[in-house]
Amino acid sequence: MSVGGTPRRIDSEGKVTGVTEYPADRIPPDALVAKVVFTNQAHARLTSLDVRAAEVTPGVVAVFTAPDVPVNVYGLTLPDQPVFVGTSHTGRTDVPCDVSRWEADHLALVVAETAHAADQAAAAIVATWEPLPVLGDIDEAMAPGAPLLHPENGLGHNVYTTYNIRKGDMAAGWAAAAAVVEATYEVPYQEHAYLQPEAGMAYIDDHGRVTVEIAGQWTHEDREQIAHALDLPEDEIRVIYPAIGGAFGGREDTSLQIVLALAAWRLHQRGEHRPVGCVWSREESIVGHHKRHRGRIQARWGADAEGRITAVESEAWLDAGGYNYTSNKVLGNLHLGQGGPYEVPNAQVTSHAVYTNAVPGGAFRGFGGPQSAYVAECQMNKLAEALGLDPVEIRRRNVLRDGSIGITQTPMPDGVTIAQVVEACAAAASTPPPASPSEPFTPFATLGPAAGDLRRGRGFACAFKNVGFSFGFPERCEAEIVLHGAVGDDAPHGADLFHAGADVGQGAHTVFTQMAAEALGLPIERVHGHFSDTAITGDSGSASASRLTWMAGNAILGAAEEADKAWRNGDRPAVGKFRYVPPPTEALDPETGVCTPNFSYGYVAQAVELTVDTGTGHIRVDRVVSTHDVGRAINPDLVVAQIEGGVVQAHGYVLSEDLQVRDARIQTPRLSTYLIPGIGDGPTVIEPLILELADPIGPWGARGMAEMPMMTYAPAVVAALHDATGVWFDAFPLTPSRVLARLNESGRP
Amino acid sequence: MQVDMTVNGQDRSADVEARTLLVYYLRDAVGLTGTNVGCDTSSCGACTVLLNGESVKSCTILAAQVRGADVTTIEGLADGTALHPMQQAFMECHGLQCGYCTPGMVLAATSLLADNPRPTEAEVREGLEGNLCRCTGYHNIVKAVLHTAEHDAAFWQARASKSGVTA
Ligand code: FES
Ligand code: FES
Repeated sequence: MSVGGTPRRIDSEGKVTGVTEYPADRIPPDALVAKVVFTNQAHARLTSLDVRAAEVTPGVVAVFTAPDVPVNVYGLTLPDQPVFVGTSHTGRTDVPCDVSRWEADHLALVVAETAHAADQAAAAIVATWEPLPVLGDIDEAMAPGAPLLHPENGLGHNVYTTYNIRKGDMAAGWAAAAAVVEATYEVPYQEHAYLQPEAGMAYIDDHGRVTVEIAGQWTHEDREQIAHALDLPEDEIRVIYPAIGGAFGGREDTSLQIVLALAAWRLHQRGEHRPVGCVWSREESIVGHHKRHRGRIQARWGADAEGRITAVESEAWLDAGGYNYTSNKVLGNLHLGQGGPYEVPNAQVTSHAVYTNAVPGGAFRGFGGPQSAYVAECQMNKLAEALGLDPVEIRRRNVLRDGSIGITQTPMPDGVTIAQVVEACAAAASTPPPASPSEPFTPFATLGPAAGDLRRGRGFACAFKNVGFSFGFPERCEAEIVLHGAVGDDAPHGADLFHAGADVGQGAHTVFTQMAAEALGLPIERVHGHFSDTAITGDSGSASASRLTWMAGNAILGAAEEADKAWRNGDRPAVGKFRYVPPPTEALDPETGVCTPNFSYGYVAQAVELTVDTGTGHIRVDRVVSTHDVGRAINPDLVVAQIEGGVVQAHGYVLSEDLQVRDARIQTPRLSTYLIPGIGDGPTVIEPLILELADPIGPWGARGMAEMPMMTYAPAVVAALHDATGVWFDAFPLTPSRVLARLNESGRP
Repeated sequence: MQVDMTVNGQDRSADVEARTLLVYYLRDAVGLTGTNVGCDTSSCGACTVLLNGESVKSCTILAAQVRGADVTTIEGLADGTALHPMQQAFMECHGLQCGYCTPGMVLAATSLLADNPRPTEAEVREGLEGNLCRCTGYHNIVKAVLHTAEHDAAFWQARASKSGVTA
């Protein structure tokens, strides 16, 4: 059986031998070197730009600026960002293009024979700026009289997207409450820190197409954005993804795609046909791409004496930064999660996205879910404490079930399994770990903690997260299968699979191949995949929203059926193409939020045990039981790998990763100052626990799962820390100095 | 300046700037792109190679400093078409996802076992401290190293005695 088996990853040999090519490896020695020149201005108006000295720098081939871009604006879900900030441009956008709203806005692209020449030319660019007030955070952006960052939207303020939910009768909800808990939470940025910094190259291919080879998450969306900016038909653009060195949402928006395409296209017009390559440093990567949103959420929840939720009042603000990226979509997910995975009879929920001059917020594993799950689960744990209830018991009394009406007042899709996930997690956490306990590999200070300073605690949290695009965003996935064999053959001897879905490291191409083999009844070695090239594959949608296995699986099933029909019809080769479209979803009603937001969900619960040194503030996570209903594990080993990797990434988010931003500028743009977990920093024991309770409309019953480990770790750790110290932490990351300061300020333990 | 060294058993010579780091000598002058660059601060270990059998971060060292040295990159680890046991172990134990850290991890782990053929889990974690991975959470990497230490013990013991190290 291919589905449910654990074949080796199809990319593993190339990756252990160094044969696999990442974008930077593809750049040939004769390629021209491109350098992106950032504006280096958090908020300023460009009053003059002189690139003449740069253009005559020895070794420089060209300097591209705003007037070179036919449509000087882009953006994945809202075109609000100039490709280049410039004093003049081609005029085909309402977005004022002479203002830098982010330190990493692009000012120019220098193309030269060598990196050295490109650097020199970049330094020779003369720009003069009229400083504008820097809106460093949401408070400054929402202050009366704050300058408008995007006056073109006509709103008259920097709060540019707001969603509502109005359900039931709040007064009745508060009247029925036996306990009310209320707090203001602050959630931090997170940097993706995929190990492969942005890199790519562009050239004109044999068919005259402007071709970009790069690491991204959605080939066809990249193509659409390039075509839009260059004002070319999409079929004159080609996007290819070689191997991708991690993504996690950080490559959902474009980075070098448009500028590289522009350079190759313009140079070709001038008779220069060499490819143009660009490789970002880690610093350019961290400064130059979006982050998980920081934000603030004020929440007030009430429950009756039995622990049943009676009212949820909650308001959130996300710092979108200078441009939307996917903030309006991230906000929707956060919005939906503000009531947790619970039956909420009365709700008043509001969520805002706010433009500032800080780094844009955007997609990152969980897509707004981790922020609201942190708040919802902290609120739930506080209610349990207030009512003297066990954290698992209070969830048992509130979780959504089949037939439940969600917070947007429509029924949940069938297959609601959070109750089972909660029970399984609680049961596993109450028994000792199955494996012999490893010795903790994160010892406290070499000298050892002072006697009595070590406190232990346990915490629990659960969550749901949509699988697939939400709120009416067009959702589809295409696949093509070609069966080979002779005319008289009963069965094909092999197949080609064409699919655009991005393997960002999660193993998508292995899983696609397994699913195709299963659908065709062929051994996996007989299925040859051709992936992630817009010239040969149909639109798959992005590697995001935990959707790729789910959507691709349904598309592959359809393509296999079509190919089989063609085969039985006598076609050789037999071709099957299929475009899968899931059940429709709807946008939120502006006033009440009523809608059918999603067609599928994944469910997760985590139980955490930790030890804190109250003398130093150091936390060691001793054990996490991470429980997931994945519907059907297409490849159980890869599911476990996603859980382990996701938990450790969440561990960094909650405990060590501390992106410092001052006056809207990133202060920690290096891996030496932004600390992702090393091999000795994660939880001592991670126990992935997998349930396979089928999603009725998932392929082979599968659900998406890659984001789920990220959802609940923060609230589970915070609950365990509270259990250990008696203190609630309404902000993180829980760096030792923060923990210590908060413990001291609260006078405990 | 002219810089000569042996890379994966082959004599190499290239005219490079004096400030060329070993990693760019390997990637650009020799054309071996299996050695990756992940940072500017010697933090990630993606660039790890073996220098005279010991693992080093090739972004921390000038090519000119290691003239005449014997360098092994990920491309030179296999014995012809037969994969090295550490490569096999990373494949079997899913010790990789995006694979960007993998060449450095595999080489660092190889050097670790050459020094200490039967490490404990804690020793593996300590030995690989300088190599970051953003995808795997490290568990399968540790598993891969312990797996080959156990299953290919004779190979690693022979290595250790050859390099004069006793376990
Ligand atoms: S490239 Fe990161 S340590 Fe060498
Ligand atoms: S596998 Fe992606 S960084 Fe290690």
